[in-house]
Amino acid sequence: MSRELSELYRSLAADADARDVGLPDVLRHRADRRARFRAAGGTLAVGLVVVGVVIGAQVVTPPSASVPAPAGAPTPSTSPSPSPTGGSPSPSVPPTTPGRSPGTTSPGATGTQPARTPTSIPDRAFFALAPTNQVGIAPEFRDEAVLPNLCGADIGGEAVVHRRTRLLIYKLPQTPKGYVPDGSYTHSITIYRAGRADDVLKELRQAVRDCPVQKMPGDDTLGESRQRLIPDSGFGDESVLFEMRSAGQDVNGDPTGADVVRLVRAIRVGDVVTILWEQGWEGTSSQRAQVDADGRRAVAAIRRWLG
Amino acid sequence: MRDGQSFDDFYRSTTRRMMRYGYAVVGDYDEAQDLVQEAYARAWRQWGRLSAHPAPEAWLRLVVSRLATDRWRRLRGLRGALRLAGPPPSVSPPSEDSVLLVQALRQVPATHRRALALHYLFDMPVEEIADEIGVPVGTVKSWLSRGRARLAALLPDLAVVELEATDVA
Repeated sequence: MSRELSELYRSLAADADARDVGLPDVLRHRADRRARFRAAGGTLAVGLVVVGVVIGAQVVTPPSASVPAPAGAPTPSTSPSPSPTGGSPSPSVPPTTPGRSPGTTSPGATGTQPARTPTSIPDRAFFALAPTNQVGIAPEFRDEAVLPNLCGADIGGEAVVHRRTRLLIYKLPQTPKGYVPDGSYTHSITIYRAGRADDVLKELRQAVRDCPVQKMPGDDTLGESRQRLIPDSGFGDESVLFEMRSAGQDVNGDPTGADVVRLVRAIRVGDVVTILWEQGWEGTSSQRAQVDADGRRAVAAIRRWLG
Repeated sequence: MRDGQSFDDFYRSTTRRMMRYGYAVVGDYDEAQDLVQEAYARAWRQWGRLSAHPAPEAWLRLVVSRLATDRWRRLRGLRGALRLAGPPPSVSPPSEDSVLLVQALRQVPATHRRALALHYLFDMPVEEIADEIGVPVGTVKSWLSRGRARLAALLPDLAVVELEATDVA
């Protein structure tokens, strides 16, 4: 039987009419409540960051009587792990040669074996969100770009052995369950050919330096994004942290008057690089304290995987 | 100052059309409901300004379209975040025609779906569609034509030719 398209659309309209979208006053109250929580969450997060910076500065500032670290000493690891014992396949060797990944590091002490680059990435290599950050939506593995565009730079593509990428949605601890999430990550783990992972981080640093300003992808009205490196330490064997800052826009495309900041951190652990690219949620900015906490969880999961 | 009464009136007078539009553009009942609710929530947040907008319903359609073409994670997040009132009430299963059309629409580009929905659900001429979406008239004609051709290929017993002879030059 032949049918017309308008007839099919009428059927669709009839089905849609059968669906109740709720009462307007309920929707208004819910929207207001969500806005209040978001505002309160933002204020609290800023406060936590300020407190964190103050405490961090006190911890990091060396006391005057302390012995200065020797020049060229490797960045201290958060969890100093012993050199691999015989038979351990782990590439997570503490860097005996600062700045080089283990693929190019000659075996150090007698009896150690050269680190072996892993060839596959199990699920357990990916960190689990803290319970207070979980929104009840399972992460989804997707073939996505692992880094934002940086003026078209090609970073380490030819040295990739294996890569897995997932999208991860989270909330800030103070946001009640059931509310709109506060942010999301594109989180990747990439195994590079032996000795190439540190080159990849160098290339990334250079790419950020070479791309201080770029047009936002897509619509011409989206304006520019400004990139800059942020000093970073204490994550894995080495890390690169940078921000992308752009003028915030509301859903109409009108300027909000505030900047939106995205934080991206690449962390090397041996020949493995994990990247947490925080992408916010509906125009929220990345919260440094949250990104730092998840970065530490990411490193811990990779170290557990690598043994 | 936002006027709740005027928002409620606007909501009641437009939700039905917006649900139809959302369903036709998104291709999924539940996601359409979530998106439409989210669009109205945003409308309420800006109601002070939006109530003076010359075409608030077009503004809402734009929000729904943007949300619909946004990334999958937003849709999934909204579903989890907005479904706060317990399980949805039971509704009759969709009609066979509706199911067939929605299945076919999922294989049609989002821009084409949007133009088709505005044309068939809102009876808008191509000039108005072009104005709302912000593209040339020729582009809308092309989208409508290609969208129909694709639907015709996916729905073999669809009488497309007779229907389209007059409305797309």
